Amino acid sequence: MNSAISVRHLTKDFKIGLRGLKLRAVDDLSLEIPRGQVYGLLGPNGCGKSTTLKIILGLVSGTTGEINILGFPSATAEARRRTGFLPEAPYFHKFLSGRELVRYCAQLSGVPAVKMDDAVDSALELAAMTEASSRRIGTYSKGMLQRIGLAQAIVHDPELVILDEPTAGVDPVGAAAIGRMIRAMRDQGKTVVLCSHLLGQVEQVCDRVAIMDHGRLVLEGRVDEVLAQRDRHLMTIEGLTPEARLAAESTLAAHGARVTSVTHPRRSLEELFRELVTGSRDA
Amino acid sequence: MKPLLLRCGWIARMTFLEAVRQRFFAFLIVLGAAMVLSSVAFRFLDFGHGELKFIADFGFGGMFLFGSILAVVMTAQLFFAEMDNRTALTLLAKPLSRAEFLIGKFFGVWMILGLFVIILSALLGLVLWARAQELSLLAEQSGRVAPDFSISGLSIFALLQWLRLSVVAAIVLAIAAAARTFLFAVILGALTVVAGQLQWIAQDVLLKPTESVVYKSILWLTSRILPNLQQFNIGDALVLDSGTVAMSSIGWVILSGLLYASAYLLLGALVFRRREI
Ligand SMILES: Nc1ncnc2c1ncn2[C@@H]1O[C@H](COP(=O)(O)OP(=O)(O)O)[C@@H](O)[C@H]1O
Ligand SMILES: [Mg+2]
Repeated sequence: MNSAISVRHLTKDFKIGLRGLKLRAVDDLSLEIPRGQVYGLLGPNGCGKSTTLKIILGLVSGTTGEINILGFPSATAEARRRTGFLPEAPYFHKFLSGRELVRYCAQLSGVPAVKMDDAVDSALELAAMTEASSRRIGTYSKGMLQRIGLAQAIVHDPELVILDEPTAGVDPVGAAAIGRMIRAMRDQGKTVVLCSHLLGQVEQVCDRVAIMDHGRLVLEGRVDEVLAQRDRHLMTIEGLTPEARLAAESTLAAHGARVTSVTHPRRSLEELFRELVTGSRDA
Repeated sequence: MKPLLLRCGWIARMTFLEAVRQRFFAFLIVLGAAMVLSSVAFRFLDFGHGELKFIADFGFGGMFLFGSILAVVMTAQLFFAEMDNRTALTLLAKPLSRAEFLIGKFFGVWMILGLFVIILSALLGLVLWARAQELSLLAEQSGRVAPDFSISGLSIFALLQWLRLSVVAAIVLAIAAAARTFLFAVILGALTVVAGQLQWIAQDVLLKPTESVVYKSILWLTSRILPNLQQFNIGDALVLDSGTVAMSSIGWVILSGLLYASAYLLLGALVFRRREI
């Protein structure tokens, strides 16, 4: 009951070819995704992330295993009413405007007519799509498509939001904006589950991550715990002369510590990019 | 019950909006209209039913042919567009059942078929009326009986065609729900229409005492599974010899059409429930 999603011993075999050949996309996966956090499902392409999310949503059925969403047995309409989903590389009816799409999704999600306009407006607002909302979706850029996808996923104010590769194909500035939207959702008390292979971006957004490989879970935990190397330390020093360095090294050696590497700190290219470029044209 | 109908309605509305702006739809309307209008070019000047019958038959033929193409191709296209573009992934993650989605699709197609039939029937009615005026003038001058046609018969015919196309759409939707590809659904759908059109032949064979029992039971089974689509094509009798078709037999045709459409829709919904999106 405490978990937003609980997956127990989930296995999924896809039948491929006529001879009954099977491809194991998810292999004995067990996850407990806590409420109120941003949870990242990471792994290389083809490791089974999307398949796992689709099974959680009931779009694909698992071969074996058990799933609970928000305390409901897998993929009942009741569970889906409290869940929002942004599929991978989303595609929507091109002839609709952004606002029409979000409204359509709100109608299907059972948003009552009296709350419709408010719900649509606030979803567009959160996804920073208010301005472009009257344009046809066919004219949207990749970043705008992801953001309108985000808006349609949250328009019915779900407790749980599931995002499949929300930043794939989006430039770093747009990706950072999507990251902020995700944190805003968490601050509203929603649980956000996202999957991605873009690890740099995920690191800044997620509270907790699971890493998958070939359908199996290889690592799971809080981001800071997973990433910290507790037996290593990093110092940043200004004005280090060769003499000072020698002195420092000998002092450290006297205490039994050893300097294993000395490098210049580097900004990531992404940070540099975000500093130089002020925004995408569609942001 | 009300939210269920609403959700089907939203899907149907979106399906209709998607279909109605397709060039393919406009193209078939234009072809059908061209066929109706081109019949005017032929004038027999026999001052009688012959010419009106010719115009009517041309119109029925256009509606039958292009309507069938529309019902098969458009239904499959609208279904597979949602699957292949993965818009279904977004929609079916909503609190919407698979059956509601499929029924919504059906009624979207149903509306587009209705629009098609209404436009072409109205055009046909107009052409028939204009020519009947001309002919009756000529008939008066030469002292003969003026030819006439029945507007209400034409309306009933339009209704029956709409129903026939809806049955086809339901069958194609059931096939599409199980099919992997658009092409497969279209081909099997087209074959089913042809078989349904010829189904009455099987019924004739069943009456012959000479055939073997196995052959007959296979025929009997297929003729139950497939609707008799030919029974909807009673345009001649309805429009030109009004009164010769008993209301009760029209009632039976309508009832059987509704039953077949519902049965195939139900089958489609059952198959679609297990489909992986
Ligand atoms: N419908 C399907 N039929 C057969 N194989 C599939 C299907 N969907 C996914 N797969 C396979 O399952 C594996 C996992 O796919 P996916 O979950 O999409 O990976 P990810 O999202 O992690 O990139 C891949 O090897 C993929 O080829
Ligand atoms: Mg994926």
